[in-house]
Amino acid sequence: MIKKILQSFKVAKAGDWLIIILFFALIIISMKLLWNLPQGQYLEIYKNNEILATYSLNQQITKTISGAKGETKITINNGKVRFSSAPCAKKYCIHQGWINKANQIILCIPNKISISILGSNKNYDSINY
Amino acid sequence: MTLSTINISDRDHQIAKLSSRAVALSLIEFFFPSPIPGVKPGIANIVILYTIFKFDLRMGIWVSIIRVFVTSIILGSFLSPTFFLSLSGALFSLLSLIIFKNLSPKFFSLISFSLIASLAHIIGQFVIVRLWIIPHDGIFYLLPIFILSAFIFGLVNALVTNKLLELNPKK
Repeated sequence: MIKKILQSFKVAKAGDWLIIILFFALIIISMKLLWNLPQGQYLEIYKNNEILATYSLNQQITKTISGAKGETKITINNGKVRFSSAPCAKKYCIHQGWINKANQIILCIPNKISISILGSNKNYDSINY
Repeated sequence: MTLSTINISDRDHQIAKLSSRAVALSLIEFFFPSPIPGVKPGIANIVILYTIFKFDLRMGIWVSIIRVFVTSIILGSFLSPTFFLSLSGALFSLLSLIIFKNLSPKFFSLISFSLIASLAHIIGQFVIVRLWIIPHDGIFYLLPIFILSAFIFGLVNALVTNKLLELNPKK
């Protein structure tokens, strides 16, 4: 099967390989250019969909916030942030791990606390649109 | 009373036959679910490539345009956004083929033309999407996926067409 597929490439001429390589380069360039989200600068903490506080990401600190079910701990560690402890049952928010890019979010629905990272200026996503 | 007669040449018959095959492939593709919305293999283009290489570019243009119109009428999407997406993709591909038709066949085979046309197809659709359907820069995030799929399916379609041409060599 694989041999047959490779054989069918024999019809490719020098120019074809050139086009294939150019196309490949285009794919890689477009990924680099378009998937390069800016690093986040600020962290917004939401409680009941209202902004509770905004912190800079350039520090090392753990914040404790009391939500609907209990206390949630959010850890900021030099440019990245995660939920380090939460009172919810499934702990999805903790399993999301660290986030560091602009516009990334983590939600903790049971405790009604969410965090969102801002770049230097606020970008809009498809939800806003 | 004057009788108006239309002379139907062999060429017209040939165009009709090939167009019907292209329409059939488009319809088959329509009913297959796609893993990512918007990413489709475009198997009807196999027929169009075949037409261009077995006959000539003018005939390929006819088959391509007829395919777009007939498929949309059958599926009921005529003059809907889907139709314009498909039409602009087809027109951009054909335009790219017209521009690049003088590439020397010594160095460039069907594979190059298929890849160029599939890239032009994606660009044509993307222009319509960006200007009209979703006028927001957020969709550029999806562009690499579409370029990648254009590359894969452009290549696969070219290899299939090559096989078909081997089985039915040019007269």
